[in-house]
Amino acid sequence: MRTDELIAQLSSGLEPVKRGQVARLLLGAVALGLAGSVVVMLGMLGLRHDFARAIVSFGMWTKLVYTFAIAAFGFWLVERMGRPGAEMTRPLQLLALPLLAILLLSALQMSAPGADMPGMVLGHSSRVCAVLVTITALPTLAATFWALRKLAPTRLRWAGAGAGLFAGAAGAFVYSFHCTEGSAPFIAIWYSLGIVVTTLIGALLGPKLLRW
Amino acid sequence: MIAQEAQYRDWMLAALMGDAAAYRMLLSGLTRHLRSYFVRRLDSGAAEDAVQETLIAIHARRATYDPSLPFTAWVYGIARYKLIDEFRRAKRRPTVPLEDAGELFGHDETQEAIARRDVTKLLNKLPPAKRELVKDIKLDGVSVAEAAQRTGMSESAVKVSVHRAIKSLNEELKDEEVKEGPGDADR
Repeated sequence: MRTDELIAQLSSGLEPVKRGQVARLLLGAVALGLAGSVVVMLGMLGLRHDFARAIVSFGMWTKLVYTFAIAAFGFWLVERMGRPGAEMTRPLQLLALPLLAILLLSALQMSAPGADMPGMVLGHSSRVCAVLVTITALPTLAATFWALRKLAPTRLRWAGAGAGLFAGAAGAFVYSFHCTEGSAPFIAIWYSLGIVVTTLIGALLGPKLLRW
Repeated sequence: MIAQEAQYRDWMLAALMGDAAAYRMLLSGLTRHLRSYFVRRLDSGAAEDAVQETLIAIHARRATYDPSLPFTAWVYGIARYKLIDEFRRAKRRPTVPLEDAGELFGHDETQEAIARRDVTKLLNKLPPAKRELVKDIKLDGVSVAEAAQRTGMSESAVKVSVHRAIKSLNEELKDEEVKEGPGDADR
């Protein structure tokens, strides 16, 4: 086909684009993905037994705020990744905030008098934490990839990594309703490791699955 | 392209609201930039394909343009992606330039392969001890003295043995040519 014919074809019957279409697509996918992650957590692991008491504990809120912040900046990053030519510096810079906060809190807790360092770092679930975070994240990762494919990612490995970061943090958020750990060093190490693993999975799969 | 940023951006914003005329002007204008972008990086057939691919991508993904960002950066991002896509495709289906055709057809190994196969077939008709001798001396270049030492035979015995083996192979070969007919002989 000749290029001017193509242009005529594309511009005839042009539909207006609704505002906020990208955000709606992403939020819809994320809601579905999160629902999947919640189902995985409840079905495979179950809510922590002392949930009613724990929900007001400091440890629970440490997990929730840390993972939510990473997920929020990760979501922003994904939204930028889906748009050609968009800058990512802002969400990337902001990601440093939750990291700095958890490191600071870890230092505070570990330097407290009589702190049980090995207990804080290892807890009782350090061997499974990162793996379970990753597994919980998988439905959200799949949904994020699905949505990102409908946008226009142009750096597929980075876009995959961004999707992985978001999904990993969202998975960690959901996982924290099962997990009974609450010390900042534990969260800083093992929750972060789960998020990093999911990020790497996303970076690995991005070039293959995000092509459009 | 940066010079027309404001004009293109206006057209794009109008197009996003459904203005087909603005959209057509936008795509026509972009085509010129895309063509010169791809022509410099691909051969001409692939370049025009890439122009069209990019126009289709711009159309299909137009919702991803964020009006708070520069329009030209958005278009460039898509064009760059399509260029990389084209390179990737070219790598998957490698093409041989025409100059290499001579290289491909210049050297024919078929005859050599047939000859090697025939020698092996022929040698297998000898008794094992003689076969080893012929192979060592006539094919692998082992000296008669060495072969004699290896087999424990005298040098003259080795020579005679090889001579007889070659003679019997010659006869074998003649028989075969008669059997298979002259057509095969000039192979």
